[in-house]
Amino acid sequence: MPRSIRSVRPRWRGGEAGLLVIVALALLVGSVSLSGGLTGRLAVYDGETLLVYLVALVSAHLAFVLSGRRTDQILLPVMGLLGGISLLLMQRLPQDLVTQRWFGTDVGLAQVQLVWLVLGIAITAILGIVVRSDSWLRRYKYTWAAAGVGLLLLTFVFGSEVNGQRLNLQLGPFSGQPSEFLKVILVVFLAGYLSENRSLLMEQDTRFGPLRLPPVPYLAPMVVMWAIALGIVVVQRDLGAALLFFGVFLAMVYVATGRTSLVVIGLVLFVIGSLLMANLFDTVRERIDVWLDPFADPLGTGYQVVQGLHAFARGGLLGVGLGAGLPLIGGQIPIPEVHTDFPLAALGEELGLVGVLAILGLYLVLVERGLRIGAAAADDFRALLAVGLSLVVGIQAFIIAAGNLKVLPLTGVTLPFISYGGSSIVANSVVVGLLLALSDKGVEPPAPPSPRGRWQRLRHRGEC
Amino acid sequence: MDGVLFVLWVVRILFLFLLYLFLYRVVRTLLRDLRAASREPTTTLGRLVVVASPGAEPATGHVFALDAITTLGRDVNNSIVVEDPFASAEHAVLTYRGSAWYVEDLGSTNGSYVNGHPVDGVATIGFGDELQVGQVRFRLERPRS
Repeated sequence: MPRSIRSVRPRWRGGEAGLLVIVALALLVGSVSLSGGLTGRLAVYDGETLLVYLVALVSAHLAFVLSGRRTDQILLPVMGLLGGISLLLMQRLPQDLVTQRWFGTDVGLAQVQLVWLVLGIAITAILGIVVRSDSWLRRYKYTWAAAGVGLLLLTFVFGSEVNGQRLNLQLGPFSGQPSEFLKVILVVFLAGYLSENRSLLMEQDTRFGPLRLPPVPYLAPMVVMWAIALGIVVVQRDLGAALLFFGVFLAMVYVATGRTSLVVIGLVLFVIGSLLMANLFDTVRERIDVWLDPFADPLGTGYQVVQGLHAFARGGLLGVGLGAGLPLIGGQIPIPEVHTDFPLAALGEELGLVGVLAILGLYLVLVERGLRIGAAAADDFRALLAVGLSLVVGIQAFIIAAGNLKVLPLTGVTLPFISYGGSSIVANSVVVGLLLALSDKGVEPPAPPSPRGRWQRLRHRGEC
Repeated sequence: MDGVLFVLWVVRILFLFLLYLFLYRVVRTLLRDLRAASREPTTTLGRLVVVASPGAEPATGHVFALDAITTLGRDVNNSIVVEDPFASAEHAVLTYRGSAWYVEDLGSTNGSYVNGHPVDGVATIGFGDELQVGQVRFRLERPRS
């Protein structure tokens, strides 16, 4: 007990503090800009909400300082800036998009989002400070996998359908999107499985034409994974999650084995699966038709995508300014589901191409940090876990950003840290918290004896 | 031009500028980090950390940088001398082939173990796995980068 207490020594985190100052400044300026766009007055718009958020960020920073761990200093500010942009966007949208009754008072969109963001920061801080060993993740990988499959089955059976997609799971008073948590579980399981069987996957046994494959039994998980992804599409109609899971799976297999042949097989399987799905299911075919030509039915199936493209077009290079985007059309927001599916289009309208590129840059930074943490890790499990966790956020951001911009068919995944939604924010906060824990550069070597004189040395000896 | 509108425009541009200032600072840190990492020599292929050792040699916590071929045993001519009564003179050899580490038991009396499983002839060993020679347990780790 005394030993563990004494070994905790506060460690100043200058880089993180500096970046957080810029985050706070940017959010203040953004809030003033929002107030100008909405009300015409130059003041901080709803200062209390912003203050609560900034206090949460600073508290997390102070907790890291006091814990004395040598963890990454860039992840928290990046996450904080993305969450802050989300808060500005939710304040700007009509508050009655989401209303909940908590403790007898009605709370609107921005308040609910604020609660989730603060909870997310708390989760990140706790994971980043408390998690010191990864053996509990590694040892119970099949338990995690079973939990994940159980979660999936629960959604299959009890999930409620929203817009023809069976994504939501209602458990008592709580409802959530299990696929957000499933992606974290999937990465943990894959990291455990691949790090254990890496050397076997790298042996080249089976020859199949020009391709050299690993022994057949070790290919089985690949096929199982493909089947699960297809199952998600068939039962849940959730294209986004299927795409995300399969993409992360291929990336992690490639990182673990370094073999392009496995990726090629995966892509071939993916194309076959997509063709099959497009021919079998109307919803999938409709998505693809809208993607190919949204203007064929601009007021019906293509409405959402067309409105999104118009929003990007109105934004131009520098945007129309926060809060100055299109007002309601006949009591309706121009883009349906803008707060969950199309936040990037709303930001594209108000911040322009310049702003959207900055936001995409933030996601790139997040991925780069994760890959660096993976490269510096001491063993395969940690390396694969860090790479997988960062890629899952990166690929998800790519899928929905590309969907908004009509680069890929639109799918219903959330934009990490920016979209409205508790499950998404909590799951992505877990990801960042685990990355922080993995980035610890290890226990600090004991400090060299201070040259400042005998007094301190004597005091130190007295303590021992 | 209306004064308020002009100020509003400045505020808008300032927000975008601050976003890029943040990105600039972050990317500068990332680049410094990458340069520092690439300056460090990474000639070693892996590291062997002593997890538990009842005797004095090797000491618990000691880290050995590995060559492509590293021999372990009680004999003083080994790359890593394991001063343990349960270790053979020429106990095991670690080799790096292609892109993976392999461990070979050299017919030792008490055998070598990877994660508790006895090594039969040659076995693969991944980063993070534990190797036991005599009573001494090592863990194979990636080179620091």
